[in-house]
Amino acid sequence: MASKRKKKVAAKEAVTTVVVMRLYIAGRAPNSVKAIANLEAICRQHLKDSYKLEIVDVCEHPRRALDDGILVTPSLAKLSPTPGAHVIGNLSDTHSVLAALGVHLAPAT
Amino acid sequence: MIDAPGLNAPPLAPDKAAAAFKAWMRRLVTDTAELAAFDAGEIDAVMDRETVSALMMPEAQTALHDSSRIVLSAFDALPGEVCVLDAKGIVVLTSRAWRVSGAAHARAGLDVRAGENIFDACTDAPENERVHATAVAAGLREILSGTQQSLRVRYACPSRRARRVFTLTMAATSAQGAVNVLLSREWHSEPKLLGKIDGGTAGKAPEIAACVGAENRLLAALPAKDYAQLASGLESMSLTHGETLCEPGEPVRHVYFPNDCLVSLLTVVESDRALEVGLVGREGMIGASLALGVTRSSVRALVQGTGTAMKMDAKRFLREFRRSQALQRVLLQFTDSLMVQISQTAACNRFHLVEARLARSLLMTAERMRSAEFRLTHEFLAAMLGVRRVGVTVAAVALQSRGFIRYSRGNITIVDRQGLETACCPCYRYLRVTNGETG
Repeated sequence: MASKRKKKVAAKEAVTTVVVMRLYIAGRAPNSVKAIANLEAICRQHLKDSYKLEIVDVCEHPRRALDDGILVTPSLAKLSPTPGAHVIGNLSDTHSVLAALGVHLAPAT
Repeated sequence: MIDAPGLNAPPLAPDKAAAAFKAWMRRLVTDTAELAAFDAGEIDAVMDRETVSALMMPEAQTALHDSSRIVLSAFDALPGEVCVLDAKGIVVLTSRAWRVSGAAHARAGLDVRAGENIFDACTDAPENERVHATAVAAGLREILSGTQQSLRVRYACPSRRARRVFTLTMAATSAQGAVNVLLSREWHSEPKLLGKIDGGTAGKAPEIAACVGAENRLLAALPAKDYAQLASGLESMSLTHGETLCEPGEPVRHVYFPNDCLVSLLTVVESDRALEVGLVGREGMIGASLALGVTRSSVRALVQGTGTAMKMDAKRFLREFRRSQALQRVLLQFTDSLMVQISQTAACNRFHLVEARLARSLLMTAERMRSAEFRLTHEFLAAMLGVRRVGVTVAAVALQSRGFIRYSRGNITIVDRQGLETACCPCYRYLRVTNGETG
């Protein structure tokens, strides 16, 4: 069964958009472990509570990965809001992950 | 050398083959971003459409192999004696301490090794260990069927030369949907006890072994020397729900030390009306009035929860009681706590609501049975609480509607123990404190 990690949106921040993501990983392989850690750090720092993340292990659910058009893992798919986007690899490049997720950093003052 | 199949296997693929495999995998990847990640070494697996499977990169395979080797080495180096079984009871893994200790004890007492089946070892156990081996096999079946999450069994291996007793803790673990069992073995050193027993009564080995495995707290509190004196007079037996051990006014012929059964002490008001005044499990005994010089029972002792107990002839018990100061001390302490329980129950029956009293009774029963599930009929509960059956129904429905228990045809399951404690009268906490059962 695919593991799910969900965070609820704070009620008072009704205008905040929830980013829905799915991360495809391959068991406890090193890049997959790194990808989970990197993504969780990014979410904690930049998305606070406004995200939903589902982690799919392709070793346990290969059919699902193929049906979703996933060829290599780790692979992060942004499902919502549109447009969708993909980031391949261990997600160590925070900027490209944030760009794909549509999160724009405020310029340094 | 680690005792696990496949652990010392050679690396999965030589470099050349790995490079060729990687080159072949690269052809499956067509997208530019995917190729860039592939070449940067950030890919763990590539999906193969034909076989509908994930093909692991050689580097990922090596890393996984290394990490499992680290985990297995760490397991092997654990200071405790541990062993992992698969769902069929076959040993998958043992720690070094398990194997070393097994060798040191001449492989006594279910010292199974990787690849062996523990159920076979239980069946093949020597005659004088059979009682314990059967208990272990039954416990393992309960864990594998999901009835229990963990169990402890005290196991004795009688021998003329040395005392070999250990506690085997069995706990369920689950990996990828399959249930495994983690066994942990802890040896106890009580050299004098078994030496004495084995030397004198070689022909009675199975019964003696059962005595050694007794879980009754009063017996466990005795020093080894005093227990050894008592042990040859103890007989292990099963007590079943509804069985009467003694009636008011009748002479006490036997005393009973419950292991995992539960006995209710009832005061009989009229021939057909009785009220529970005390509850005795493994923390006590039936027939303690003998210690006060009273040879006739004042209560009816009715078995409420089926289980095992150690039985002893009353005359023999009195002889041992006069001889052993330790036994006198232990029994007087128990008599005192029983009197506290009886007097508190009397006050509770008078002042507290049926629902709170029912909650208290259920918690006390669960503690003594060491199970959150047990059987208590309406008639029995009515006698315990001194109310009519309809009163029991109302109270049980109220506790069930609050989500604390499940009650169906006499089968009771405590679903929310903490919640049930909040529904109890203060007597429960008081009795726990006075009987030293807290924590």
